[in-house]
Amino acid sequence: MQRRDYLIKKTAWSILTIVFVLILNFFLFRILPGDPTTAIAKDPRLTAEARQALQVRFGLDRPLLLNLEGGSLFDSQFFAYVTRLAQADLGISFNFNRPVADLLGERLLNTVLLVMGGQLLSIVLGVGLGLISAWKSRTAFDVGAITFSLAAWSLPTFWLGIILLILGSSYLGLPTAGRETVGMDYAGWWDQWRDIGRHLLLPTITFTIVLLGEYMLIMRSSVLEILSEDYILTAKAKGLSHLQVLWGHALRNALLPVVTLIALNLGFTVSGAIQVETVFSWPGLGSMIFDAVRRQDYPVLQGAFLLIAVSVVLANLVADLIYSVLDPRVKSA
Amino acid sequence: MITARFTRCVPALVVLALILTACGGAASPTPEEPASTEAPVTEPAAEPVVLRIGMSGSPDSRNPGNAWLTEAFDLIELVYDALVYIDFSGNYHPELAESWTVSDDGLTYTFTLRAGAMFSDGTPVTADDVVFSLLAYRDWGDFGYLSGYASYFADAQAPDPQTVVLTLSTPIGNLESQLLFCYILPKHIWEPFAGDVEAAVAFENAEMVGSGPFRLAEFRQGEFYRLEANHDHYLNPPVIDEVIFQTYANQDALVQALRAGELDMITELPATVVPALRGEADIVVAAGSSRSLRDYIFNLSTPDTCPVDEGGVCSGHPALRDRIVRQAMAHAVDKQQIIDVAELGLATPGIGLVPVALGDFFNSSLVDYTFDLALANQMLDEAGYIDTDSDGIRECPAQMDCGGRQLDIVMQIPSDIGSGPREAELLAGWWSQIGIRMTPQVLEPDTVTANCCPAFDFDMMLWGWSSDPDPSFILSVLNSAEIPTGLSEAAYNNPDYDALYAAQTAELDHAARVGQVHEMQRMMLEDLPYIIPYYQQEVQAYRTDRFAGWPLPAEGSGDILYLQDPISLTLIQPVQ
Repeated sequence: MQRRDYLIKKTAWSILTIVFVLILNFFLFRILPGDPTTAIAKDPRLTAEARQALQVRFGLDRPLLLNLEGGSLFDSQFFAYVTRLAQADLGISFNFNRPVADLLGERLLNTVLLVMGGQLLSIVLGVGLGLISAWKSRTAFDVGAITFSLAAWSLPTFWLGIILLILGSSYLGLPTAGRETVGMDYAGWWDQWRDIGRHLLLPTITFTIVLLGEYMLIMRSSVLEILSEDYILTAKAKGLSHLQVLWGHALRNALLPVVTLIALNLGFTVSGAIQVETVFSWPGLGSMIFDAVRRQDYPVLQGAFLLIAVSVVLANLVADLIYSVLDPRVKSA
Repeated sequence: MITARFTRCVPALVVLALILTACGGAASPTPEEPASTEAPVTEPAAEPVVLRIGMSGSPDSRNPGNAWLTEAFDLIELVYDALVYIDFSGNYHPELAESWTVSDDGLTYTFTLRAGAMFSDGTPVTADDVVFSLLAYRDWGDFGYLSGYASYFADAQAPDPQTVVLTLSTPIGNLESQLLFCYILPKHIWEPFAGDVEAAVAFENAEMVGSGPFRLAEFRQGEFYRLEANHDHYLNPPVIDEVIFQTYANQDALVQALRAGELDMITELPATVVPALRGEADIVVAAGSSRSLRDYIFNLSTPDTCPVDEGGVCSGHPALRDRIVRQAMAHAVDKQQIIDVAELGLATPGIGLVPVALGDFFNSSLVDYTFDLALANQMLDEAGYIDTDSDGIRECPAQMDCGGRQLDIVMQIPSDIGSGPREAELLAGWWSQIGIRMTPQVLEPDTVTANCCPAFDFDMMLWGWSSDPDPSFILSVLNSAEIPTGLSEAAYNNPDYDALYAAQTAELDHAARVGQVHEMQRMMLEDLPYIIPYYQQEVQAYRTDRFAGWPLPAEGSGDILYLQDPISLTLIQPVQ
């Protein structure tokens, strides 16, 4: 029963958070100065009538929250937004002139492709490196691993990406932009995926290096702390091998902080590595958000932020659940 | 005991993930030998000749009535034809129209169309399509930028399939420049939107059926588009088979892609990489005129001209309305140094609103204000602007309505002009030496727009313009009739100028019109509603190892550079 209550409580909080984000989202973007039609207003050939027509087209001529000018009280931008959301309609992009849901779907797939590889690689390498570093603490290996991780963590993503792009393009002939070679006739799906793989390689490496350091450092300090516990001493005294102590006794407890970090990072996966996507012109969510901000494309921003919020909340929910499995004490807390 | 089993599962999952990523993430993209980005060679004979172009932006729409960005018009120009086209020196040539005659009163134009023009869906281009397009632009009223070019069209008729008769409401001297942007749309596709501008603007136009030298084959917004050559084009059939325009979100990657041979041409590049690229083998950096310019605007609005009904605030410093002050400030601007610092040398010193790229409309006989701080100080002294309290800043003479007020002004700069702050810093330095304190203020572009016009809530602004090939539009910016509309930024009010503006609009004799346009430039240099520090240059780069024949402007010609223009892309050919 305890476990079910815990689950229900966590799920309820998650839903509440999402609803809050929905409302906040709407107002957030409308606080910005100007509106999408003034973004092109410097152009004098856009007449006042044309601007008016644009506003009518995107519903920007209606009152923000409540319609006090007569007619239905709920004939406002906010209630139009809520009604459409209830019908799973995220609106039409001002800029792309296409349904936001379609756009998000396309871009989400590309972002997942890019970020998942990088996440998994950095988790595996980071956690592994942290574990070994802690076990071999204060050896040359440890010092080397810490130095590398600190350096990797503090590297500016943008800079690292450009350096890798120039090196990879100059010496390995790797492509500099996009997801596929445009205009290529593929012999088959294998050929196509090989091409996508070549485009993915550099962004994935950039992403991995940037994330790896943090995982390594947290894992190392977490394992070191566990290794100083009495029960580890007991395990060693029982005559267990190094590997048995690490694997069977230290790892599970040491993973707790790392799980939190992974969950947080996975949630933000959806927002994509905005910087990595921009450097490599990767057609993912991140570059779309970047563009949408520049052009004040509210519907895309709202949709994207909603998607990010939902995935962060879900990732946290999953982290909570994994927690309760890893550490049974969490359930009653 | 679920938890106990799970413990052993966690490391197992990690190992599994390691295997998966090793296969999927890193192992599969085996790097190939360099320069292998072309499609795999299957049949050498059938291999299409593909030109790859890199750009920073991306078209915002495929519908000419819903497109605002230059990237969109690059595409539209390649896919659609108009009755005329313009060359890089600013001369008009017949395109879909083979020839035309003008009635004596300048109101009726009779066009003979070329034979053999076909839309990309296989239907022939007829006079019906031309009449439909010209009238649709007129009737839609708010079809993006394009309706503005149809405002003088009274009627159009097609007496036979090869003839179009266009009647104007008033004679104009620059009809070609209006027809240039009236792209001929296929009637059978656009007819459902006739008279319904909202539906016409909302039309996605995914196929882009046009009669131009290229046809849209693939389009992914924000990523790339691919064009196939129309080898049967009636006038300019391209030599190459395909063009790919790819969007690069990052300019360093764009330059690297050109270096690596992944791209054959890039439409723009940061000035900072120009010296490095100039030294590369197989790469040419080309520079030519553009129609864009930088301007420093003075707020000349007075209580009399202030458009109060339109929200006019008119808060400019009164001393700036004194022409002597503006002329003294112009003497304290070293344009060449601004060009060297802000544009790294890639610009031409400016003189008036009509850029050098407009050919004979540009008045090359004007002599600019010399950079002479002593003269500037002397002019201000003589006009009575004296630093009475010895704090280094001059005050207005007592008899003026700003009597005793310091010459302390603010220059507003939109934050999206990267070189703005550096230019303002240079200006502030020179002007402080003639007793004028100028403080730069970088603002969000929307705020600058709101303060600008018709609010006139500023002393000075740093901004820019991009001119049409015809000077009429850019000249209208100083027309006093535009003060309430928000088009006039300086609130310049000169009846002589207004009269000349009206005269040149209706002048049918080209030489006479050029004379009027030259006189207007002389007026603006004398009155200085703007200081124009420079005309920007277009800088593009291309590789020489795969394609040849790029048209470059002759040295000192003032011709524009536009390598993604239909003229360029139909001229170039693969290197043998």
